[in-house]
Amino acid sequence: MKKTGFWVLAAMVAMVFGLTSNAMAEEGVTDTEIHIGQWGPQTGPAAPWGSVARGTDAYFKMINAEGGIHGRKIVYHMFDDAYNPAKTMAGVKELQESIGIFAWACGVGTTPGLAVREYITSRKIPWVGPATGSSHWIDPPNRYLFAVYPLYYIEAKALVRYGVEKMGFKRVAIAYLNDDYGKNGLAAARKELTAHGMQLVAEVPVELKDQDMKPHVMKLRQAEADMVLLWVVPGHAVRIVGTSAAMQFAPQFMTVSTCSDFPLMMHISKGLFKGVIATTFGELPDSDLPLMQKYKKDAHEKFAAKGERWGLFYYAGILFVEPMVEGLKRAGRDLTREKFITAMESIKGFKGIGGEISYDIFNPNKGYESRGGMREVFMIQCLEGGQAKRMSDWTKIQYP
Amino acid sequence: MLDFLQMIVSGIAVGSTYALMGIAMVIVYKTSEVPNFAQGEMALISSFFAFMLLDQYGWPYHLAFPAALVFSILLGFFLEYSILRRAKEPNILGLIVITIGIEMILLGLVSWKFGADPKSMPFPISPWESFAIGEVFISRLEMLTLLVALIIMVVLFVFLRHSKLGVAMKATQQNNIAARIMGIRTHRIMMITWGISSFVGCVAGLLIAPATMQPYMMWDPLLKGFAAAVMGGMTSLPGAVVAAYLLGIIENLFGGYVSIEFKSAVAFAIIVLVLCIKPSGLFARHYVKKV
Repeated sequence: MKKTGFWVLAAMVAMVFGLTSNAMAEEGVTDTEIHIGQWGPQTGPAAPWGSVARGTDAYFKMINAEGGIHGRKIVYHMFDDAYNPAKTMAGVKELQESIGIFAWACGVGTTPGLAVREYITSRKIPWVGPATGSSHWIDPPNRYLFAVYPLYYIEAKALVRYGVEKMGFKRVAIAYLNDDYGKNGLAAARKELTAHGMQLVAEVPVELKDQDMKPHVMKLRQAEADMVLLWVVPGHAVRIVGTSAAMQFAPQFMTVSTCSDFPLMMHISKGLFKGVIATTFGELPDSDLPLMQKYKKDAHEKFAAKGERWGLFYYAGILFVEPMVEGLKRAGRDLTREKFITAMESIKGFKGIGGEISYDIFNPNKGYESRGGMREVFMIQCLEGGQAKRMSDWTKIQYP
Repeated sequence: MLDFLQMIVSGIAVGSTYALMGIAMVIVYKTSEVPNFAQGEMALISSFFAFMLLDQYGWPYHLAFPAALVFSILLGFFLEYSILRRAKEPNILGLIVITIGIEMILLGLVSWKFGADPKSMPFPISPWESFAIGEVFISRLEMLTLLVALIIMVVLFVFLRHSKLGVAMKATQQNNIAARIMGIRTHRIMMITWGISSFVGCVAGLLIAPATMQPYMMWDPLLKGFAAAVMGGMTSLPGAVVAAYLLGIIENLFGGYVSIEFKSAVAFAIIVLVLCIKPSGLFARHYVKKV
């Protein structure tokens, strides 16, 4: 009887400890798996940027093929939100509440990201590397949100500074998408020009559905701009450059990293993008950096779908999650979200295939420093055949 | 003054593509009273068919473009014969919903087959080279579009007014049953109508594609073409054409002098105004069926 009592007690203790252990296990983490989620438009007008999510997929597969992280494989849950915030919200909620995602990675688009920001961060779920450079990710900052993409704001400042100081342009104009993305560029251009005692000679808003760019180009031409910033989507950028050529208006066009996939831009502009200057945040596609070569060989060539191009936004899907993988490695085998956050905060001067990335202990008054991620960009110019000429070194820019 | 002239010329240039899409909408509406919302994607798939022949199979222009036009006609025949004609107890609303369904299917097919990245349509004329009349510019492609649109309008006008088939199409629209009693094979007329409409849409698509080629390229032209068709009264070909050019000019002037933000929205403000003030359209006589 005594012996039976001992075994009953032992079984109860085991059950209690077992339950406790289960109850304490972090959501989205098992002994062998870490569940990471991402949304990205695979259909709809923003689908060209959907390659980000596919790049991440190949990268995670490469990591798994190499043994995973501390003995765990990454289980990657990607869904198509068609750049529709309602679908983003529905997809995130469904995955979070059915599967249980440990952390969210990337996510294309400011508007889809804003739709789920509160949902993710209020549940203390980490989110690393939104695939847009909106200031919303760091202003106001959030403890659980780590930006990687350099802010559009600093890209615009860098371009204006380069154009005015190095190239001597006196009449700067901007064509901007009339949304948060475009207005980030507009605000930064105004600010940088004010610092140089100048102001924009024309501010031309472009609506996403606009196809005919002649009225826009006419406004730029009337203002006699010698440098035009293009803060629009790739299709608009091509049409503005093309329509300008048709109207014999030839300023120096400068554009944001979203339009810096030069092989693509040259192809769709039938060669007119030659000479355009852009900011960028990652190594060039033909870079001989060993890490780029490795990703191309071990991720893209092995795991990408047939016909998938090794373009900027494809490998940006790797670049945006490199810090996340670094954080997972630093957090150790005993993975919890709190340990992951602490590990991410310990990342300083991290260098993958993009600019230097640093975080710090969360400080609500220092969002850029503690959660800004990449604070540098460099300038490239489009050459014949979509090749890029490096125009500057990595340039650090302050925000705001 | 120079800017004003440029805006007028630009408005006329952009109005040509609206006109072609408007005509394509009107042709189907005239015979079936159904606005065909698949029109844009029918043009899209035909344009991508031409792209495939040129880019992947290396066909020359003089074979690829006619092949795409023939494809578009067959597509029109096929959609009418195999889908619309099969609708049980068809009513206008049901048929409209079917056209929206076709639109989604065709868009999905193009996205699946060709991917989402923008493409570069090979074309003998650069969309970005222009003629200058003084200091007023018009691109070569726009000039070609204008010419093609004018030729199609004249040919269609003559065809619909003076050919036997054209008169049969009109009869089918005005009274389907009476037309059938008079020996007109109305099903065949409907099929031909869809073929012609698809052909005109394909011409518009082929002329739009050199400047922008991606799966959503026909949304804006379709909406503007539809706006022009509504302005013109939905059944009037000259009405749709004049309205399309008016729309192009108004858009450009509005963008230049009033607000560039609302440039694209002005088309829809015009639709609302026309429907409120003159529902039969600016150029159509109100047709009332006698009971």
